[in-house]
Amino acid sequence: MKESSNADKAITVLKKSLQEHDYIASQNISTAVYLAQKLSKPILVEGPPGVGKTELAKATALLLNKPMIRLQCYEGLDESKALYEWKYGKQLLYTQVLKEKLSELMSDSESLKRSVEKLNEFDDTFFSTDFLEPRPLLKALWAEKGAVLLIDEIDKSDLEFEAFLLEILQDYQISIPEIGTVKSSVPPVVFLTSNNTREIGDALKRRCLHLYIPFPDSKLEREIVRSRIPNIEETLEKQIVSFVQEIREMDLKKVPAVSETLDWAKALILLNVHSLESNIVRSTLNVLLKFQDDIEHIESEIPTLIRSAAR
Amino acid sequence: MIYDFIKALRASNIQISAAETMEAIETLNHVGLFNRQLLKDSLSLVLAKTRDDKETYSNCFDLFFTMATNETTEMAAQDTLDVVPVAESKKSHSDELQNEGSSSLLELLEQSNQTALAENIAIAAQQVQLSNIKIFTQRGIYARRILEQMGVNELERKIHDLARVGEEDAYNYLKLRKAQTLESVLELVDKNLLLYTANSGANLRQEILEKTPLARVEIRDFKTMHELVKKLSKRLISIHSRRRRKAKRGALDVRQTIRKNMQFDGILFNTVWKKVRIDRPKVIAVCDVSGSVAQTARFLLMFLYSVHEIIPKVRSFAFSNQLGEITSLFEKMPIEIALNEAINQWGMGSTDYGGALHELERLVGDEIDSKTTVLILGDGRSNYGDPGHLALKRMHLKSKSVMWLNPEPRTFWNTGDSEMNKFNASCDRIESCRSIRHLERIVSDIARRTV
Repeated sequence: MKESSNADKAITVLKKSLQEHDYIASQNISTAVYLAQKLSKPILVEGPPGVGKTELAKATALLLNKPMIRLQCYEGLDESKALYEWKYGKQLLYTQVLKEKLSELMSDSESLKRSVEKLNEFDDTFFSTDFLEPRPLLKALWAEKGAVLLIDEIDKSDLEFEAFLLEILQDYQISIPEIGTVKSSVPPVVFLTSNNTREIGDALKRRCLHLYIPFPDSKLEREIVRSRIPNIEETLEKQIVSFVQEIREMDLKKVPAVSETLDWAKALILLNVHSLESNIVRSTLNVLLKFQDDIEHIESEIPTLIRSAAR
Repeated sequence: MIYDFIKALRASNIQISAAETMEAIETLNHVGLFNRQLLKDSLSLVLAKTRDDKETYSNCFDLFFTMATNETTEMAAQDTLDVVPVAESKKSHSDELQNEGSSSLLELLEQSNQTALAENIAIAAQQVQLSNIKIFTQRGIYARRILEQMGVNELERKIHDLARVGEEDAYNYLKLRKAQTLESVLELVDKNLLLYTANSGANLRQEILEKTPLARVEIRDFKTMHELVKKLSKRLISIHSRRRRKAKRGALDVRQTIRKNMQFDGILFNTVWKKVRIDRPKVIAVCDVSGSVAQTARFLLMFLYSVHEIIPKVRSFAFSNQLGEITSLFEKMPIEIALNEAINQWGMGSTDYGGALHELERLVGDEIDSKTTVLILGDGRSNYGDPGHLALKRMHLKSKSVMWLNPEPRTFWNTGDSEMNKFNASCDRIESCRSIRHLERIVSDIARRTV
């Protein structure tokens, strides 16, 4: 009983503090963040584009006061870009510079065998952490006070990369052949986001908490608009949100997301609009809808939509 | 209890691994059992890992936990003093039950203690492993087993005795109480049945449908079929939607290698290998919607519709005595309307393969190139007219491949007016495509076969 009320409280606090960092979280989202910390598991966040998946990671980083490290996934992303790379240039340069030094060192050894032995002594210098260029994943593991690692749009990466992530996500460690296994002292908080362009593998899903963020309902969306654009008038804000909510019900190629609602609200404020009118909506519709087909489809219904939004 | 819940989830088609079960338990340790919304949210994070699963999960959760809490609310209503948490009280009662032996039902009924009765039913249900219930007809057996577990035999003996002695009042009272108990047991069994077997019936039906020849599928199953096809296309989309690159092993890409290694003073550190970009296939599909295939035409079209969703560059044509393009119809309309339109517009004539293939050649002949797959759905019965195999041959020469899917089983080909032999010469692949299973295999193949 004690635990549950603790958890309850902790989640409410978390929700509040996320709000302070300009992120309005639903109960579900804050529960996810809480559990991710408790179980030290990554969160796989899914949902349509523009509902604030990336923002969630940013807000969490601010909240925990940890650096955010972002890894944007794309087709063809591989280890050397995600994890680490040797600084070949630096290695080369150093060998050039140290050439003379080396020959000096070598000069007193008579046999070839002796010089090889001597060289062996320096061997590891060139494959040490000094010559290692850390990429996001390694950076996150190295971070002393922990970090928030955001692996963005994991669905864009290749299947192989997904498999490669498994070790990191399960044990928060990674093997570098020349150095050994790097294990993080403070496990980073990991967010993975996906737009669902393809199904994520079961192995990866199994290791993560799965959070689905849908489009917010009108109450939540109004809160979001208010917190992001504090100087908006209440009537306008209410109309905008209910207009957008109506549009989402319609059959469109791409439904407007929260970020588009915000953009539209900002645009309307810039235009000094106080309440929605057909001609203004018509001329700013391109902020909200990104396909000509959709715009044409909506245009005829603007007056009806405005009327019901004004109610 | 959590195991039972997971069992219920599995029964409604959510896949949960052993590791996830362990996580669920760990989660419980963190959040506790007492805030229902919190419990629901947190378990949904751990157990349901797709959007569809979340919905199923939510329903299942509500059903399962109303059942679990029914007992508690009843208990709370009956004796207000009893505020011990469910789990504990259950435990103590099951101990008691074991001590008391099987006399409890009789005593309970005599005392008319509703709370304890409801609890005992729940415990007995657990003991006879009610959650193993599989099908509807097991209902009676399980109800009886629960009653027996609770000591109904003794009760019946008592009732019998009472009847013999002639104590009418006591007899009637006990008999009524017994009937009431039976009612509540049955109710519990029904709920369990709903929870643990919600999907197995539907699953069985779907499995059978997958294997049924398209021609035998009845209209009433059309909806289920549609769902199946939709599921199929969704699965295929997720596998094939991305263009993939395949490394051509062993062939060095000299140009790229030099470019990549410029940063190292031209010393070749990193090698780049040649890759082959696998293109999405271009498909031209032709579907026979004439009377001879009327039975299957709908399903063939439905299949074609799903091909449209999977492969972006598809042009579709339908024909019976005339041929027309239905690409835009398929792209703009929802499936039911598109199918009806296509059949109304082009269907129900007598088949003219010759005319159709010539017309097709006239329309898209120039478009066919070495990346194009021509897909023909039909039975190849030309009513003894010109089969038009020469036109098909010319298209075959230009295209990457020609595939023919025939809804008839192989043994019927080349009988009567079927001209499959003539078509065979200019097809790369001919398949008998009679059920959803076949469809799946074939579509997956088209989407994959690219090099």
